[in-house]
Amino acid sequence: MRWNRHVAVWLGCAALLGGVVAGCGDDDDGGGTSGTTETGSTEGAKKIDVASMDGAKGNVTYCTGKDTSGDLIAGVKDFNAKNPGITAKLLEFPESADEQRNQFIQRQRAKSADCDLFESDVIWTAEFASQKWLTDMTPYIESRKDEFIPSTLESVNFDGKFWGVPRVTDAGLLYYRTDQVSEVPSTWQEVYADAAKKDGIVYQGASYEGLTVDFLELAFAAGGKVLSDDGKKSEINSPENLKALQFMADGIKDGAAPKAVTTYMEEEARRVFEAGRATYERNWPYVYALGNMKGSKVKGKFKVTPYPEFEGGGKAAILGGHNMVISTYSKNPGAALKLIDYFTSPEVMKRAAVKYSKAPILAETYDDAAVQKALPFAQELKQSVEQAKSRPVSPVYTQISQAIYKNVNAVLSGSADPQSALKKADDDINKALATF
Amino acid sequence: MEAATVQATPAKRRSRGLSERRLAAAMVSPSMILIAIVAAYPIGYAIWLSLHEYSVRVAGLSRWAGLRNYTNALQDSEFWTAVKTTFIFTGASVVLETLLGLAMALAMHSAFRGQGLLRTVVLVPWAVLTVVTAIMWQTIFEPSLGFVNSLLGAVGLPNDTVWLGQEPQALIVMILADTWKTAPFMALLLLAGLQVIPGEIYEAAKVDGATAWQRFTRITLPLLKPALLVALIFRTLDALRIFDLPFVLTKGAHGTNTLSLLSYETFQTNRILGLGSALAVLTFIIVMIVSFVYIRFVGGNIRGLAEE
Repeated sequence: MRWNRHVAVWLGCAALLGGVVAGCGDDDDGGGTSGTTETGSTEGAKKIDVASMDGAKGNVTYCTGKDTSGDLIAGVKDFNAKNPGITAKLLEFPESADEQRNQFIQRQRAKSADCDLFESDVIWTAEFASQKWLTDMTPYIESRKDEFIPSTLESVNFDGKFWGVPRVTDAGLLYYRTDQVSEVPSTWQEVYADAAKKDGIVYQGASYEGLTVDFLELAFAAGGKVLSDDGKKSEINSPENLKALQFMADGIKDGAAPKAVTTYMEEEARRVFEAGRATYERNWPYVYALGNMKGSKVKGKFKVTPYPEFEGGGKAAILGGHNMVISTYSKNPGAALKLIDYFTSPEVMKRAAVKYSKAPILAETYDDAAVQKALPFAQELKQSVEQAKSRPVSPVYTQISQAIYKNVNAVLSGSADPQSALKKADDDINKALATF
Repeated sequence: MEAATVQATPAKRRSRGLSERRLAAAMVSPSMILIAIVAAYPIGYAIWLSLHEYSVRVAGLSRWAGLRNYTNALQDSEFWTAVKTTFIFTGASVVLETLLGLAMALAMHSAFRGQGLLRTVVLVPWAVLTVVTAIMWQTIFEPSLGFVNSLLGAVGLPNDTVWLGQEPQALIVMILADTWKTAPFMALLLLAGLQVIPGEIYEAAKVDGATAWQRFTRITLPLLKPALLVALIFRTLDALRIFDLPFVLTKGAHGTNTLSLLSYETFQTNRILGLGSALAVLTFIIVMIVSFVYIRFVGGNIRGLAEE
């Protein structure tokens, strides 16, 4: 009886613990016995052979997040028709970025050759490259370097090499109501002051990656930095960053932004703006088309502009978007490169912009008449992308970002003051950088 | 025992006994093997992981860490905040669920017209998935369009509270959501307990002139205690590992970071496998301690229930 009872409790607890660990799926790191080379860098990574795409044959699988726009599905079909020797296949992961990252990591840990290519978020480059999961794409990038908008290449650059090829870029824009604002003020300070007098500004203030982006846009514009130039130390606790954080906190206090922004992600901000309850909105280009659809109360009543400057600083945006990367475990890197070459060609890039509203990474695409017609804000978008900076490039980026959004969110919701929050973020980032 | 007494000689008895024991072992072995695979191995593996460090920057690099992951976890203020949050959540939600569940069980137990309908209605929240529950409560507490703030505004109270955007409101919403969802479960277990109390006892008490309150405190509560304790253990252990509610409601922001969520974030999102496993093992130990405390201090009642 007694024994049985103990067993029952043990089992209950086992089930609980099992839930935490086994629920994490096949995160098997090969036991703990694999102490291999300690180079601490990306030395010895497989380098792509540009010539290998000529006459490439066979199968190639492109793994990507759910293709909600249909852009990649159509592209792969077209590619197969044009390249009879190669059969490209699309493997779609879930829509959530975190889930895509998990799927990628699990496959790479298992050294799986399922996916020759991955569509990687710009913030994953350093982490994936340092784990030796990516093929060095430097020779290919060098051969086409002049075509890309320079800032987009920053997102594939780590340790002096290029680890992927940008396919889609993204940069935030300032949306404003033309029926309330005749001329957009030239500084953030004036925008906030104007917003406080009208219906306010909405942005992404919830405790997640989006807040890191929104904070860094202001902090970088104010002249702040996150890491030292060698990437080894936190420099977040600076007067410039404090100015930006204080500015955000005051924005809520003065009524420029609603208190509820501390729970907003992209979609919440979009809904508030579309309901006509905000004068300004910081969001990505995707909300432009949605805002002009039936059901939006601001249809035809808003415009976009690149970000204004921060008083005493400059202008800055944060780069988003996706890069195509080739897995080191790919058995057919030649065909994979061929597919990259196809998707990043000016012709396909133009189609992606015109038909699927994707922000191009090639400078020339923005000047195309058809593109300008399809994306009326093409010039504003190009300016925003050109002035955009990358988020800190580090193998422990997720932890650095957490340190930023958790502490900034605490300030916005009033549970911490800007000084102590930056001090805490500084400690957290240094701790993250010291992770083994 | 009866079988043994009919055996003639001691020798025969022993051999018979041995083979019976072997047979028993053979018969339980499939489930034991299954338990070993699905429970013992993950636990052992988690403990193994928690004693190592796996590099997040250099491919394939790992090293023995001894208890360093544990000392790091115990020195981390985030861990203690999570412990505090988890315990506040567990304490508050279990107490509320028990009171509400008891009231529901008593209502469902009394015979009246529409009893079947009441039982069905009461059980609906339990049938709703936790994630759906969380999204529902998120909508209810949405600052500008949500039901709660609209209601507050309608009766002239301040209606600009960002419920899921500040402390301690976010935790309160989480406790309410959990109470709403699991009180029916409590009610169901307690109803089962109520139904095994013989009606004659109540009749005898009535004949002796006991009031309704006396009947409740002197008969219902003491006889319900075993069922109540089983329900309490279930709910407490469940609440201690809460993950889905905060994951959907706030992602752990605004004072809602629980132990499970912290372990998940460390292990899965940040890929710090050793520390993440250590946090999971610590959660496991905390749950173990709580369940042993329950059994130690109230164990007699459970034994009583088991023997009934």
